[in-house]
Amino acid sequence: MRAFRIGLLLGWRQIQRANIWTTSLIIFVMMLTFLNLIAVSGILVGLIAGAEKAVRAESLGDIILSELPDEDRLVETEGIVRELSSFPEIESYSVRYRSAGTLEANYKERRNLQAERDIASVTVTGVDPIQEDAMSGLSSNIIAGEYLNPDEEGYILVGAYYVEEYAQQFGDIFDSLSGVKPGDTVRLTAGEVSKEFIIKGIIQSKVDEVSLNTYIPEREFRRLFGRIDRNADQIVIRVKEPGTEGIVKDTLIDSGLGEFAKIQTFDEGKPKFITDIKNTFNTLGSFIGSIGIVVASITIFIIIFINALSRQRQIGILKGIGIERRAIEVAYILQAAFYAIIGSALGALLTYGFLIGYFERNPIQFPFSDGILVAPVDETIIRFAILFTITMIAGFLPAWSIVRKNTLNSILGRK
Amino acid sequence: MKKKSTTAPNIITATGITRTFTTGKVITEVLKGIDVSIQTGEFVAIMGKSGAGKSTLMYQLSLLDEPSGGTLMVDNTNVLILNEVERTKFRLNTLGYVFQDYALVPDLTAEENVMLPLLMRGLEWNTARTTARGAIDGVGLIGKYLNLPSELSGGEQQRVSIARAIAGKPKILFADEPTANLDSVSGTQVIQLITDLNRIDGQTVVMVTHEREYALGADRIIHMEDGIVVNVEQLKK
Repeated sequence: MRAFRIGLLLGWRQIQRANIWTTSLIIFVMMLTFLNLIAVSGILVGLIAGAEKAVRAESLGDIILSELPDEDRLVETEGIVRELSSFPEIESYSVRYRSAGTLEANYKERRNLQAERDIASVTVTGVDPIQEDAMSGLSSNIIAGEYLNPDEEGYILVGAYYVEEYAQQFGDIFDSLSGVKPGDTVRLTAGEVSKEFIIKGIIQSKVDEVSLNTYIPEREFRRLFGRIDRNADQIVIRVKEPGTEGIVKDTLIDSGLGEFAKIQTFDEGKPKFITDIKNTFNTLGSFIGSIGIVVASITIFIIIFINALSRQRQIGILKGIGIERRAIEVAYILQAAFYAIIGSALGALLTYGFLIGYFERNPIQFPFSDGILVAPVDETIIRFAILFTITMIAGFLPAWSIVRKNTLNSILGRK
Repeated sequence: MKKKSTTAPNIITATGITRTFTTGKVITEVLKGIDVSIQTGEFVAIMGKSGAGKSTLMYQLSLLDEPSGGTLMVDNTNVLILNEVERTKFRLNTLGYVFQDYALVPDLTAEENVMLPLLMRGLEWNTARTTARGAIDGVGLIGKYLNLPSELSGGEQQRVSIARAIAGKPKILFADEPTANLDSVSGTQVIQLITDLNRIDGQTVVMVTHEREYALGADRIIHMEDGIVVNVEQLKK
């Protein structure tokens, strides 16, 4: 304890009397190291988190109701919907019918019957336009034309990836229709049944489920695909209070809806690959960040080593007058701790006080997501603990190696 | 003023002290079997030319170095069997040091420099500060408690160094050429201070110096040459 107290005195006074610019520079390096550790993996994870956030906002909502394992669709959909309407915790929901079809364009202008038809295999989703828009904000993804009007029939929204003009970046991965635009007539075929639709709007989003989709009113969907039982494929729900989806899910199950549908929160129902990619990016970020830690630890090692080396004689004299080695080591460890704590604190302040909010307001525009900065506090604490520990070791080692030198040799400056 | 007894017990008894240094295949014998006894309350000066071995002898007697051979009893303790930690503790509790270039910690104030060994001994902060200020007052630097070493003259720094050495009331004060870096006025003041510590407080002092005028305040002068004691001069008081 005595040694610790003396070490604190020696270390703190060294920090106090050190050159302010040198101290600032070291702290700046530590802050950058901390940011490198937090921000690199945070942005990599945020890239996926941004995509995940968009999928939640524009496609899957907070709670997903899907068919039971031994069913093809949501049985008793109308009963489920009536029940959902009675839950005050639910902000909005959308009932979705989904099937595959083919969409054909430019067939009226086709003169040569031997020529290839302008056709695309598409996913068709039947929705109540008002409910869907309330749940997923689908209308905000219109990039040409207009959103569906619930009072009209014979109109379709076409995902941008099915339109050649917007899908060129994907080459031949998807079928796309050439030259179509809002107002054009297309033919939607489901099995043996075909119906003409006028393209009301083109929708585009960074969520593939939206851009690779076509939307028609649910009434027309049921007629076209013969869904006379009115059983839907999916119901997605937005809860009023973000973060309460687990509680709302339990309430839905308690009310007996679990007998008709598989009920999952977004986290449970989201595609597994999102979690896998997130974990992969997190590991990648940690790896890149660890290079920063190595650089920082070498920096601290050199700083403490030079500091201790330049005070070698003073260290010898301190030992000579009876100051324990441990006290002198504590003095240098304290300095390393000071640099690590202040640097990390500034880095944390910058991260939580500015960067996270900034990237939330100004996401990084990636082709498939709006990247944000993700820095969970628990992970940040772990990374700080790693940085702190390594910095301590980097501070201790040079001090230890110099303090253990022969006292008289240190006093006389002998090697 | 304490009266010296001619039959005071020996506080240092060194017998056959040798010290050799090996550099590659070259072995240099710096001390060649020194026998020295110093009584409690005695002021002994060690003199000699450069390379005579006077500082090396003081390092052995003050436990800053370990002899290659011989026996050494300090304050009734066979110090040669102590390990590094025990030696450090022994130096802290029993010995005081004044180095030729003051050797103060530049980041600490005068009082903090003096407090350092006191805190290491386990004194509470306030007690250590009061004791340190008393010691600083005692060396004539009243009010300069909060000055950094860089704000003090060489003579003042050496006084702080003496205050640090004596604040814990060590049994033996070792001074290694304490006037080497001082002008003659400051040097004389420092020697007077050390002499007074011996004369008034009965402090045992072992001092290395190469200037005879500074050694004249001692009880005895040990003259060294080429690693051996060539003469012990008893000074009449």
